[in-house]
Amino acid sequence: MNWHQLWEIASAPDNVPIVALLFLIPFFTWYGFRQALQNDQLIERLEANPDLAKTHHRKTYPWRKGWEEKLHVWPYLLRIEFLVALIVTFILMVWSITLNAPLEEPSNPTLTMNPAKAPWYFLGLQEMLVYFDPWIAGVLMPTLVLIGLMLIPYLDPNPLGNGYYTFKQRKFAIVTFCFGFLVLWIMLIVIGTFIRGPGWMWFWPGMTWDPHRLIHEANRDLHEVIGIKLTIENRWWVALFGAVVVGAYFIGGFVVTHLFFTRTRLKAAFDRMNFFQIVTVQLLLILMLALPLKILLRQLFRVKYVWVTPFFNI
Amino acid sequence: MPDIPTNPNDPRDQVDSTEPIEDPIVSQSLAIPILITSVLLVGSLLWALYEEALGHRPWRSYQVEFVRLYNAYLKKEKPVQIKDENQIKQSAEYRKLDQALKDAEDQAKPQLAEIDKELAGVRRDLDALTEPFQLARSEVGALTYKTETAEGKRKEKLDEQLKELRKGPFVAKMPARDGSDRTEKVEFTFEEMESRFNELKRRQGELLSKKGAIQKISADLRKERDEYLAKQIEGLTADQLAGLQRKMDNFVSEIKQINIPDVGLVERCESCHLGIREPLTLTRGDMKGHPEFVSHPDKELLQIHDPERFGCTPCHGGNGIATTSVDKAHGHYEHWLWPMHARSNAEAGCNQCHDLDVVLDHSSVLEKGKQLFLHRGCWGCHAREKFDPEPAQIQLIQKNIAALLEKKDANLREADRAQRQGDRAPDNATAQQLYQQAENLRVGGGTIDSQVEQLNLQLKSLMTQQKKVGPILKEAQNKLRKEWIPVWIQNPHNFRPNTKMPRFRLERDEVRALSAFIWQSAIQNPKLPAQPPGDAVRGKQAFESRGCLACHSMGEGSEQIGGTFAANLTRVGEKANYDYLVRWIHNPRERTLPYCPKEKRDLTPEDYARHNLPFVFDLDHSRCPNDGAEIVVQQMTVMPSLRLTWDEARDIASYLVQQKKPASYPDAGFMDDPKLKDKGRALVRNYGCAGCHEIAGLEDEQRIGTELTLEGSKPLERLDFALLTEDAKKDGWYNHKGFFEHKLSDPAVYDIGKIKEKSERLKMPNPHLDKEEINAVTTFLLGSVDSTIPKRYFFVPEDQRRDVQEGWWIVQKYNCMGCHTLRPGQKSVLSGLPQYAEVKEQLPPNLLSEGARVDPGWLLRFLKDPSLMENSGNLGQKGMASAHAAKTQPKAEAFQGAQASSAAERERDRNGIRSYLKVRMPTFYFSEDELRKLVKFFEGLSHQPQPYLKQPLEPLTEEERLMARQLFNSQGAPCLKCHATGNPTHDQTASAPNFLFVKERLNPSWTERWIVNPQIIAPGTAMPSGLFRRDGDRWVFNGPLPDSFKSYQKDHARLLVRYMFELTPEEQARSR
Repeated sequence: MNWHQLWEIASAPDNVPIVALLFLIPFFTWYGFRQALQNDQLIERLEANPDLAKTHHRKTYPWRKGWEEKLHVWPYLLRIEFLVALIVTFILMVWSITLNAPLEEPSNPTLTMNPAKAPWYFLGLQEMLVYFDPWIAGVLMPTLVLIGLMLIPYLDPNPLGNGYYTFKQRKFAIVTFCFGFLVLWIMLIVIGTFIRGPGWMWFWPGMTWDPHRLIHEANRDLHEVIGIKLTIENRWWVALFGAVVVGAYFIGGFVVTHLFFTRTRLKAAFDRMNFFQIVTVQLLLILMLALPLKILLRQLFRVKYVWVTPFFNI
Repeated sequence: MPDIPTNPNDPRDQVDSTEPIEDPIVSQSLAIPILITSVLLVGSLLWALYEEALGHRPWRSYQVEFVRLYNAYLKKEKPVQIKDENQIKQSAEYRKLDQALKDAEDQAKPQLAEIDKELAGVRRDLDALTEPFQLARSEVGALTYKTETAEGKRKEKLDEQLKELRKGPFVAKMPARDGSDRTEKVEFTFEEMESRFNELKRRQGELLSKKGAIQKISADLRKERDEYLAKQIEGLTADQLAGLQRKMDNFVSEIKQINIPDVGLVERCESCHLGIREPLTLTRGDMKGHPEFVSHPDKELLQIHDPERFGCTPCHGGNGIATTSVDKAHGHYEHWLWPMHARSNAEAGCNQCHDLDVVLDHSSVLEKGKQLFLHRGCWGCHAREKFDPEPAQIQLIQKNIAALLEKKDANLREADRAQRQGDRAPDNATAQQLYQQAENLRVGGGTIDSQVEQLNLQLKSLMTQQKKVGPILKEAQNKLRKEWIPVWIQNPHNFRPNTKMPRFRLERDEVRALSAFIWQSAIQNPKLPAQPPGDAVRGKQAFESRGCLACHSMGEGSEQIGGTFAANLTRVGEKANYDYLVRWIHNPRERTLPYCPKEKRDLTPEDYARHNLPFVFDLDHSRCPNDGAEIVVQQMTVMPSLRLTWDEARDIASYLVQQKKPASYPDAGFMDDPKLKDKGRALVRNYGCAGCHEIAGLEDEQRIGTELTLEGSKPLERLDFALLTEDAKKDGWYNHKGFFEHKLSDPAVYDIGKIKEKSERLKMPNPHLDKEEINAVTTFLLGSVDSTIPKRYFFVPEDQRRDVQEGWWIVQKYNCMGCHTLRPGQKSVLSGLPQYAEVKEQLPPNLLSEGARVDPGWLLRFLKDPSLMENSGNLGQKGMASAHAAKTQPKAEAFQGAQASSAAERERDRNGIRSYLKVRMPTFYFSEDELRKLVKFFEGLSHQPQPYLKQPLEPLTEEERLMARQLFNSQGAPCLKCHATGNPTHDQTASAPNFLFVKERLNPSWTERWIVNPQIIAPGTAMPSGLFRRDGDRWVFNGPLPDSFKSYQKDHARLLVRYMFELTPEEQARSR
């Protein structure tokens, strides 16, 4: 077990943001949820008491006698911001004193580093390259992510819950986001930093990053799993097979999501949406779930591609 | 906050006890957090300031420490120096010098005072006159110009004006003549004023130069005295020490930087290494154990490579710009590509610029590394620039020849076609044209032929030069004892501990296959003629006196004597065939069969018989009888021929084989198993045996190893530490040095832990180097880099130094330094042998000044054939041209050993110039190129002007000849007592060269210097010094002079030299 190496990775100046991320992301997730749940509780209490509902209140606290209705920005807000500014400046000072810019030798085009890693914020994309063709992982998926994020205001018909932290009003949205951000983005960054070693091989923490390590894993395409070998003659049949499987996934996805929307408490929200909104949400969900599904297929069943065509592979 | 009464009925007041009563936003005080963070922030600011001033500038504390230690050292040293100095000042010599100075000063004093007085007067006058004169001159000048440019009437008018002006009067306030402070007005015309001014100027110059001349006497004396003091005193004088102290008092704490803008080099090493260029020798002890403050260990080296021009890191490596930490500055940091060389490999830095030097002063480790690389034959497997360039050149030329011949063939075919077309041509004109075309093409063939001929000459030269480290294996059957071969291959170091043959990691079946292949691929016919036994006692004598020990050693373990350049011959009798040894000793270059590179096979006597040619091949008969290609006629060994007789060769061979009786070896019947041959060939290929040995069928094998020319700058990631990578990183040898050292001490080290096919394992054999040798080779490899220094810094001289540089390679290749001294202070191998302890004059000559001593033309001839057979009967006038054309190569006498004492053989059984020496100057069969380079090398080593112009000597008059003869024979200097004459009885006791060679051989001006004072040129020579004494500006014989010399006013040494250069055998005989 080579824990020294893990320490070397964790202590590299390059990886400060990632190590910080390991602590900051859980903290702020917790903090945000706490605030949201407290707000939800407050709303519950206000709704239970019509008198109370008419009062002004601090967020998370119901009204009390003597509490001002409105407060001045100065000093009540600015002093907090000032304190935060002090803390952040202090952290930046210490950081800049203790860690120099992690400069390396002049680049040598004939000698690339192994592993060659993207900057930390792109490690998720790099990890996706393992599972998809570059144009899918590097172009299509990020574009879909951006489009999906842009569409959120048009897909969410619920006006309640605007302007404050709440979980109750946006359960589905928040759970989906947490899955997409924490699991599919942050996790992949952590994997890319700590787990992926030379040759982009999978090393558990404590394993020596040995570029000469041999891994006996034979990745197969799905059609090979069921015993079809790809030849020139049957390539169209293989493509058709893949298309059927992928098509089945999409159809199945639509059915399952439809049931999910209609048979659960999401029904109310579902009823507020029109047809296009519903279909778009379903489509985005299915596409997002394709990524973890493909990861599982690869990691558990060593399946490389589901759909092999002469033009592209998925 | 005022207490607000609560109403228990108001549900708005039913709050949890956990909830704050007061508004949390208003009531919360942030004072404490803000205070704490402010304090922290201020703290971080202070921290930043500290880092800025000291933390990131560790050199500041180094400077403080240095100034303290250095001052303390100077303080301690000064009284010691003053005491020493005083002691010297007390010495008679110093006082004499000091007195002389004082006397001179006293003597000069009145004169100087007088001059000063007059000078003061002249200066005062000049001061007064200068301004009015300049004014007057400008006025006159302006008018003169106007006059000259004017024309006609106006010109005349101006002329008048000018004349008027020149008459003056010009007024100057001159000091009064009586010397008082008064001034008086004096009126001058312009001419008067001008001449007065010039006179004063002249007088001033005169006085100044007179003063200078007087002062120079005392200045010279002072210089002499101070120089004497500086020479006597060790280190610096008290004054100089005081200067250093002043320097320390005014020390400014700052980054000490060397900046060489045109190279883009910025070096701050001296910000900490402050003592490195101090004129004192500062040791670690002097600086209280601080290694960083010592002075540079090689001051002389630093003088050649001025840090202001070369910096520090170009040689030492490291990051000269970094000042933040020791590790960073030294480049011991994974991202700095040129870390500082370890102390033991510091000389690796030299090689960047001195890659072309094989012999290099001030860098003994690097030099040793290079020479090991050369002599151990690392280049057999590893290509390396400058090492063994011949095969590549030979290949290129062969390719060119093939292309030319092909072109010629095509031309001839084309000519035939044109001829045939011409025959069928419809009319005469067309036919003529075609015939002409055919003719042209055929004539063009002649040009191609001459080009091929040129290339063939080059080829021959290169083939003569091409050497292999190991012996030829084609002759294994003739040479070796069959059963010995597997024993040797298994572990060469067992049999011969210091052998150059490295040990391969072979399994038993591999050894069997290899031996079988070598045995079966060897030449079977013709067999060598059987040799009668020789006399081992005489052989021992010859072996020890002929010079064999300059390269070979004898005796094992602590008894070993002789050179390590070639094999230790103690156990040669256990392995080698006597008949083969005899031939080898007689002439090692003699081959059993020549090899034709074009046909890629050994030529047999049948090949020659088919063309009705005698089976003779040597440097004069080096063409293939079948296709005319240049063939390999010599063994590729550097071992020269000692021109021994067959008898002597037999004696030595008998001695060698009797040293150790053959041991018994296990039966090796498997070596005749033809099934093993193919496996053996594959193994020979795999292990690259053909890199060092000539092997049948594998003559064109390429090198199997990595090219090492730029190995030192290979990225570390490209060096395959394999499974040791992590260990190396942990143990701190994950660097080039660590890689090379581990590889050299155990070449299989990077296979550890790997499971591989035998054929895929690392092949490099173990060269059995000791620690020091490993360090030397590592240094060389570390220095083999693609240097980042600008090319113009490389030592690639264009002048004579280049000849020297190139010559050293040949000197090293043939081990000239085994017998001769070529560097000041260098001891030849022979000079260390016990048999020469008493008879130093029997040692081969010291060649330090050979280039100045001899005529280059003669030297060329001598190196080509040291027996000088060509000139033996004819010592008369002979130009260089004839020497070039001379065919001095002795004919190879293949298989005719029985006719041992032929006349030709007796003829060449001699030393050309120093026939009195037992040790032989061997015949090396240098190529033309090597000969030329060697001669230029010797010229360059002695800084001889190029080209060599023989100094003309004025012919002797009859009278002078008589006088010179008397001198030559005089009792005070009986030249012929020691110098050989060619008379066998006389020469038995002779210990100096024959005078008859002088004319051709020596350089007259050197000869004159030699006879005047030989001890200066060759300390310890038997030639007596003090034969002449200085008399005015000429040399006069220092002994009883014959009467005829009374009126002779010319130089006696010169007279003798002129006589020697005109000496004829008859004259010499008369002298005797």
